Amino acid sequence: MSNSIAKLLALDKISNFFNIIRQNGGIRASMYKLYRQDELKDGTLVGEDQFGNKYYENPRYFYSRNRWVEYSDNFNMNYDGSQVPAEWFGWLHYKTDLPPHKDPNRPKYKWMIEFTENMSGTTGQYVPYSTTRPKIEPWVPKPKSSV
Amino acid sequence: MAAKQALRVGTKTVRPVLSLNQAEARSRVLNLYKAWYRQIPYIVKDFDIPKSEEQCRAKLKEIFLKNKDVTDIRVIDLLVIKGQMELKETVNTWKQKGHVMTFFKPTEEPKPKDFLSKFFSGLD
Amino acid sequence: MLRQPLSRALALSPSKVAPLAARKFADQVQAQPDKVEVFINDKPVYVPPGTTVLQAAAQVGVEIPRFCYHERLAVAGNCRMCLVEVEKSPKPVAACAMPVMKGMRVKTDSDLTKKAREGVMEFLLVNHPLDCPICDQGGECDLQDQSMAFGSDKSRFTDIHFSGKRAVEDKDVGPLIKTIMTRCIHCTRCIRFASEVAGIDDFGTTGRGTDMQVGTYVEKMFLSELSGNIIDLCPVGALTSKPYSFAARPWETRRIDSVDVLDPLGSNIVVTTRTNEVLRILPRTNEEINEEWLSDKSRFACDGLKRQRLVTPMLADSRGNLTPVEWEDAVVAAARALRDCPPGKLLAVAGDFADAESLVALKDLFNHLGSENVCTEQYFPLEGSGTDLRSSYLLNTKIANVEDADFVLLIGTNVRFEAPLLNARIRKAFVQKETDVALVGPKVDLTYDYTHVGDSASIVKDLATGTSSHEVMKRLENAKRPVVILGADQLKTPEGAALLAYTQELSLRLQDKLVDKEWKVLNVLQRTASQAAALDAGYRPGLGAQLQAGPKVVYLLGADSGLVTRDALPKDCVVIYQGHHGDAGAAIADIVLPGAAYTEKRATYVNAEGRAQQTLPAVTPPGKAREDWKIIRALSEVVGVRLPYDSLDELRERLAAVSPTLVAYGDVQDNNYFAQARALAQSLQKPVSGKLDVQLKQLEDYFMTDSISRASPTMAKCVQAVLKQKQSPY
Repeated sequence: MSNSIAKLLALDKISNFFNIIRQNGGIRASMYKLYRQDELKDGTLVGEDQFGNKYYENPRYFYSRNRWVEYSDNFNMNYDGSQVPAEWFGWLHYKTDLPPHKDPNRPKYKWMIEFTENMSGTTGQYVPYSTTRPKIEPWVPKPKSSV
Repeated sequence: MAAKQALRVGTKTVRPVLSLNQAEARSRVLNLYKAWYRQIPYIVKDFDIPKSEEQCRAKLKEIFLKNKDVTDIRVIDLLVIKGQMELKETVNTWKQKGHVMTFFKPTEEPKPKDFLSKFFSGLD
Repeated sequence: MLRQPLSRALALSPSKVAPLAARKFADQVQAQPDKVEVFINDKPVYVPPGTTVLQAAAQVGVEIPRFCYHERLAVAGNCRMCLVEVEKSPKPVAACAMPVMKGMRVKTDSDLTKKAREGVMEFLLVNHPLDCPICDQGGECDLQDQSMAFGSDKSRFTDIHFSGKRAVEDKDVGPLIKTIMTRCIHCTRCIRFASEVAGIDDFGTTGRGTDMQVGTYVEKMFLSELSGNIIDLCPVGALTSKPYSFAARPWETRRIDSVDVLDPLGSNIVVTTRTNEVLRILPRTNEEINEEWLSDKSRFACDGLKRQRLVTPMLADSRGNLTPVEWEDAVVAAARALRDCPPGKLLAVAGDFADAESLVALKDLFNHLGSENVCTEQYFPLEGSGTDLRSSYLLNTKIANVEDADFVLLIGTNVRFEAPLLNARIRKAFVQKETDVALVGPKVDLTYDYTHVGDSASIVKDLATGTSSHEVMKRLENAKRPVVILGADQLKTPEGAALLAYTQELSLRLQDKLVDKEWKVLNVLQRTASQAAALDAGYRPGLGAQLQAGPKVVYLLGADSGLVTRDALPKDCVVIYQGHHGDAGAAIADIVLPGAAYTEKRATYVNAEGRAQQTLPAVTPPGKAREDWKIIRALSEVVGVRLPYDSLDELRERLAAVSPTLVAYGDVQDNNYFAQARALAQSLQKPVSGKLDVQLKQLEDYFMTDSISRASPTMAKCVQAVLKQKQSPY
C-alpha cells in the first residue's frame, strides 16, 4: 500500500535515485561514471567477460535499454562497441537470454581464435597487401657483418 | 615615326571588342573592380570561405594587378569580359566553395624549371 | 589483311638482295651474265639466271606463300605451299626451288595455283591441332595467316572426335625452347638453321609420311648460343619461347626498336613491352650486323632486367649498411665526397653497359674537377699509338665483310661466345664460300673446322715476322682477303702490347700486298658494348696503375666485373656506384645512385666496329632510377662545376664535339692510319713467350658474363641445363 502511495507521489524515483548512487559507489564514483558513460543506472550484474567488461540487466528499464555493458576500467575513455566479445554481443542484443557462461550449448573448438576488438587506426590494424609478384625485384644490400 | 604611324593605322583598322579607346577600357576595368569589391562581403558570407574580407580584397587587387601591364585594348576588353563572367558565376552561386577557393590556389606548386629541381622531382 | 609477321616474311628479296648486291666486296667481279626475262602474271621481269621463281615474283611484288623457304637457309622445297602454275608445265611447280627459265610464264593467282594452295593447306591442317587459342604463336603464326589468306573457305574435316589426328610427343631441348611437336608441319627450317647457321647437327627428322617427326633423335638439349633463332624461324607454334610462354599476345604489346648491349656487336633488337615491363627481345634485321639472328644471351637475358635492380639511391649508414635515401641526400653526399677529394685521388671506372652520353658526361665532370683518372675496366695497351688511332681497337673489316673473307685468323679469341653473331658470319663464310679459319689460342669448339696453330703467343710473332714455317703462313700470304681477329682479352697480359704490335705488323704486311686496297685485315674484338665508345671518348683503358695510387673517391659507372675490390682500395676510400644492377660494384659502394638499363633510356652505344647506334626507351626506369647522364649532370651542379648541357640534344652536341663518330648513327667509318699505328708499334715488338687463353671456353661460360645476365633466372637455368647435358651420355 505504502509502496503504491510512494509511487503515486513519485517518491520511488527518489529512492531509486539514492539506490543508483549507492550501487554505483557513492557520489564521487557516480559522478565519474556519469562523466565516463553519460548514464547512471542500477541493475544486477549478469556476468563479466575476459576483458573485464561488466554486463548488467534491469527489467525496470524498457526493452532495449534493460541490458547494458559497463566497459572495463582498463579501457578508460577509449571504449567502443567492438570491445564486446561476440558471445556477449548475442546476449546484449537479445539474440539469446542465456548469457555465455550459463549456456552449455555454445560450441568451443580449438580453431576458434581469441576475440579481438577493431584495431583500425592503431598499429595493429589490418593493411591489405598485394599477393602478386612485383614487376621489378629490387636489390637488397647485404648487411655488413662486422663493425 | 613612320612605324608609329603604321601602328596607328594598324590599330585603327582592327575591330574593337568593346572599348574604342584606352580611357573607355580603363573605366570598364574600374567598374569591374568596383563590382567585385562590392560583392566581396556577400561572397565571403554566401560561400562560407575561410578567408576574411580583407584577404579577399587583397586577392582581388592581386589578380587585377597581375594584368597591369596589358596595354592592348582588345585584350583588356576580353579580360574584362572574362572577369564579368567569373563575377556572374560567383554571385549567382553557379560556383561552389571550392571554385571560389581556387582563386587562392593554396595547393598549386610551381613546376620545376631548372635541371636540378626537375631531376630531384623526377619530372622531365 | 596480312598481319605484320607474314607481310614481313613475304616481303623478301628486294630489300634483302639489294644490300648484298651493293656490297663492295661481293663477288661482283665475275662478268654479269645476261638477265633472263620471265613473266609473272604476264608482267615481265628480268632476273639473273639461277634465280628462283619465288624470288623473281618477289621482285615484282607478288607474294607467294611459303613455309619451308627461308632466304637465309638452304632451299628444302618440302612444304609445297609455294606451288604455282607455270605455262606448259604439266604439274604445278614449287616456286622456291624452281630456277627461272627464259620466257617462263608463271601464274600465281590462277585457278590451278589457288587449288594447289588450298589442297596443301588442307593437308597441313588435317594434322595440325586446333589449339590456336592456347598457342603462343597465335597472332604471329604463318600458318594462321596463310590459312586465312590462301586456305579454302570451307572445311572437309569430318573427324569431329579427333580420332585420327597425328599426335607427337614433345621434346625437351633445353630451358629456352618449348616444343609442342604436334603442331609441327615439318618445314625443317629449324633443322636447316641448326646445321647451317648454328653448326649443331642435332636436329633431324625420323620416320616418313604421317610418322615423320622432327627431333633430336635422343633426348638432348640444343647446345647452341644461337638456339633462340629457331623460335623465330618456326612458322607455327611448334617451337616457342619457354620464358615467354603464355605471357602475352603480339597485339597487346608495344615494340620498340633498340640495340643490344650484352655483346660488343650491338645487334639490332626489338624490345617487346607491355604495362611497362619488358616481355621479350626479338632481333631486328640489320644486314650489316646481325642479319636477322640474335644470340641467346641478348634474347633471353631480358628477365635479368627485372631482378636485382637498384631502384632507390642508397647511402651507407654509420654501421656501413646501405640504406635507402632520397636523391637529394645521395647526390649531396656524393658531391661532398667528390669536392673534398684532391683531384689526384679521384678515380672513375666505366663498366660494361656505360653509354656514350654518360661516359662523356662523367669524363667532363672529372676533367672539371681537375682529374684525368677516367678508366675502363677492359685493358688496352697504351704503348705505341695506344688508343689514339681508332684502327687499333676496332673491327676494321666490319662484320658484314667478314663473310667475304677467304682466310680468317683468330688470335686468342673464342668468337663463338665473345661475339656469337660474328662467329655465325665466319661460319657462313666457311660453309658457303669455303673460307678457311685458323686459330691461335686454346682449342675451342667454334662450330666449324679450323686449323689450330697452337696456343703460344710466339706463333703470332713468327707469323708477323714471316719466319713461321706453318702452313697457315703460306695460306695467309696467298689469301686475297684475309682477316685477322685479335681478342682484346689477350691485351691485358704484360705481353699484350707486343702481341698487338705483332698482330698489327702481320695484318699490315698482309694488307699491303692485297690487290683490293679497300680491304682491311686488322681486327681487334672488344669484349664489352661500352669499350669502343669509352676509348673514343678518351678513357684510359685498364685501371691497374690508378688503383695502385690509392684513390680516395672511386666513381663506378656500372663497373661490375669485380676488378675494383675493397681490398685493393684504402680503408677510407669512398666508393660511389652508379648503375642499374646490384652486383659486384654496388656491394662495395658507400653511395649508390640508381641508373637506367639499356631498355630504359635513349642512349648511344658504339659497337665493336665503331658503329654508333642508339637505344630507345622501351620502359621507364624502375622506382627512383634516373637516366645515367642526368645523374652525372645533377651531381656536377651540386659539386659546383655545372656541366653545360641540360638536354640530351645538347649533350649529343658535346658528343659530336668529342668525336663525330659518336653521333653518326648507323654509320661506320673506314679507319685509316694503319701504317702510322704499325710504325709506332715497331719498337714494341719484343719477344713473347706466354700462352694465349680465353675466358669463355664452354657454352656454360657464355650465359652469365655481366650484371644483367647474372641477374637473369633464365640464364642460370641455361647454365644448369648445359652442365646437366654434359653429364648425359649423348
